[in-house]
This record gives sequence, C-alpha cells and structure tokens, in this order.
Amino acid sequence: MDPQAAKYLGAGIATLGMAGAGIGLGTIFGNYLAGALRNPAAADGQFGRLIFGFAVTEALGIFSLLVALILLFA
Amino acid sequence: MAADKVDPIHQFQITKILPIQVGHWDVSFTNSSLFMAVVVILATGFLVMASSSRAMVPSRWQVVAEMAYSFVADTLRDAAGKAGMQFFPLVFSLFMFVLVANLIGLVPYFFTVTSHIIVTFSLAILVIGIVIGFGIWKHGFHFFNLFVPKGVPAALIPLVTLIEIISFLSRPISLSVRLFANMLAGHITLKVFAGFVVTLSAAGAVGTVGSILPLAMAVALTALEFLVAFLQAYVFTVLTCMYLNDAIHPGH
Amino acid sequence: MIERSPGRDPETSEADLSAAARTPTDEAALAARLERLGGTLEARRAAEEAENAKARPAGFAQATKIASEFVAGVIVGGGLGWVIDRALGTTPWALIVFVLLGFAAGVLNVLRAEGVVAGAGTRLREAGKNSGSASGRSDEGPGPTA
Repeated sequence: MDPQAAKYLGAGIATLGMAGAGIGLGTIFGNYLAGALRNPAAADGQFGRLIFGFAVTEALGIFSLLVALILLFA
Repeated sequence: MAADKVDPIHQFQITKILPIQVGHWDVSFTNSSLFMAVVVILATGFLVMASSSRAMVPSRWQVVAEMAYSFVADTLRDAAGKAGMQFFPLVFSLFMFVLVANLIGLVPYFFTVTSHIIVTFSLAILVIGIVIGFGIWKHGFHFFNLFVPKGVPAALIPLVTLIEIISFLSRPISLSVRLFANMLAGHITLKVFAGFVVTLSAAGAVGTVGSILPLAMAVALTALEFLVAFLQAYVFTVLTCMYLNDAIHPGH
Repeated sequence: MIERSPGRDPETSEADLSAAARTPTDEAALAARLERLGGTLEARRAAEEAENAKARPAGFAQATKIASEFVAGVIVGGGLGWVIDRALGTTPWALIVFVLLGFAAGVLNVLRAEGVVAGAGTRLREAGKNSGSASGRSDEGPGPTA
C-alpha cells in the first residue's frame, strides 16, 4: 500500500477515538440535565464540576485528535 | 434533475459576474461582491434618508435610525465605558453591515454575504487588528499585561500566559465561526424544508396536501431566521465592544 | 438561566398572611394587601414568562457560542504548533504541546463565555466597575436591551 494512503487511513481511524469522547460527553451532560431537572436549585452550584468532567473527558478525545493531526501534518 | 433544483448548498455558490485578473490574483467582481455593495448602499442610503430631515418630531424612518444609533451606543458604552465611544463609527458600521447583510440574505434568491466564513473572518480580523494596534499604540508594552493574570504562582506564569495568548488569538475565530455557522445552518434548514415542498407537490394531489406541513415549517423558520439575524448582529457587536474594552483598559 | 425565584414566592405570601393574622380586624387592609400581592405575583409571572420566551430561541445561539469558543481554542493551538514546527523543524513536538495548550485555552474560553471565570486578573475589577453587565457573559439571550 502507498505509505501516504496508509497515513490518511490511520488518521481517519484515529479520529474514531473522538466517538468515545462524544459518548462520554453525552453521558455527562445528560446526567447533569437529569439532575438539574430534579433539583433545579442545585444546578448552578454544580456547573463547575460539569465543566471539570467535560474538560477531563474531552481531553481524552483531544489525544486521539492529536494522533490524527500528527499523522497528517507531522 | 430534480436533485440539483433543491440542492440546499447551491445558494452559497459564488459566481463571477465580471472576471478581473490582476497579476496572478483573481479579483473578479462576484455575486458576493455585488451583494456586499448592495448592503453598503442600502445601509448608507437608509441612514442618510432617515437622518436627512432631522425633524424635532421624527418620522418613522428617523425613529428606526435613532433606535439603531442609541442601541449600538448603549451597548458600546456599557461594555467599554466613555472612552469606548471613540470607536463608535467602527462599531456602528460593523453592526449595520452585519445586520443588513443578514436581513438581505433572507430575501429569496438573494445571496447571504455573512454565510461565507471568509467574510466574517475578515470582519473579525479587522476587529482584532484594531484591538491589538490601538492597544499597543495607546499603552505600549503595557498592553501585554493583558496576557499575564495576577495572583498566579510564579512557576505557572509562563504556562498561563501561553494559554491566555492562545485564548486571545482564538477570539477572531470563534467570533467569525459563530456568525457564519448560524447563518449557514439557518439558510440550509430553510432550503431543506422549502425543498420538501417542491418535491412533495410534484408527487400529485396527496403530496400537495402533505406539503402544507413543511411549508408551515418554512414560514415559522423564516420568522426564527429574522430573530437570528438580529441576534447574531447584536452578538457580533457586543463581542466587538468587549474586545475593544480590552484594548482601552488592558488591566492596570 | 435557571430559576431562582420560585423559592421566594411562598415565603413572601406566608409572611404577608402571618402579618395579616396579627391584625384580623382590619379587613380592608388585608384585602388591599392580598390584591397587591396578587399584582406582584402576576407581574413576576409575566416577567418570568417573557424571560423564558426570550431564552428559547437563544438556545441554539448559545450552543454555537460554546462550541465555537472551544473549537477555536483547539484550532488556534494546533495551528500555532504547526507553524512553529514548520519554522523550527521540531516536528511533532510543538504540535503536541500546542494542541494541549489550545485545549486548555478552549476550556478557559468556555468558562469565560459562561461567566464562571472572569477575565484575566484585574479585568475582573474592570468589568465590575463598568456597570457589571459587560463582564464575561457576552451574549446569553438578546440581552437587556432587546
């Protein structure tokens, strides 16, 4: 196989890791919304933790994006 | 053949009206340029016409123009203080351009200038360029204090400063992407629903009755798009004001 | 964004009722007070409804705002890293470092757009001085003027 093509294929496959981050983010925001609907008064106070969870989850997704970027551009 | 008639992306195509070639740059007069010119002429014409009478008891046009003026002036004064008013001509021009461009794009068969990211990006770069230029001209090296937050442990300062610089540089991108994405998404949705009407009504009597639903949806979406047009012009203006505020008062 | 008034309404009405119970003979005052309370409640409900109606179409705008803030940080970080790599020939290290820094900047952007974190350092004070309305929260809803 042409190494250039293999590189692109690898980059495409690497971005699949973002799907995992997407699932995680869906879980986080869905649960936050469910909790916020049960107890709206507590929702504002937990916003910081929501963003913390979002950041940690998305950081793992960013790693796979990084792998793809390295394959493409480095 | 029906597919290209209801192609929702087709409306964003740029066509050359008057091909011009300067050196190896293509500076053709396109439909995008045409509508930018139309936007400028409309906005200028409207404001000149509305403010020409300068009546004590304003006409309806004058009221609208005065409302736009005081709206932008209030926004700017709230965000950037009295010193920000020196930027009023810039901010007001930006607001009127974006607003009129958004509104004109809602007319069927008209081109939406702000649905192209290069246009919104140029506007955003203009704003950020002015912020940086004015900040350095006015405050000199002091301007870079903007990137060094206070109360951070000394060991972390290089890291945090780097993050702040990236955050600052990402502003024009988020500013332009927001306007562009809203206009693009709105027009595509509108076109898709309008396309349903065309496709369904081509399918006989039952289809014609059934096409009432997407038609109603398209009407409702048009109303929503008017709101989005105003909202995004306002958002663009507010963010411009906030960035200008950074240039005027870069943290003492 | 999330309601905080519902907790207050029963309280005020209770206080009003108990205050009224202390002077049970004053029927007219009670009636007037009830009427006033009803009026305030009505006004508050109307204001709340207007607030909700205003918030709904702005939801998409807010979603694009947060997403674009985050993505812009990562894009700028990656772009900077790529340019530095090209200039210094340090492939791929600058790209790795700057994408991660860009991610941090993106999260910072989101926090700032939501008004959780104020602007860098003294900009907090600055924004507070300017009538407070213009701090981190830029464009949630059509704003006070619309």
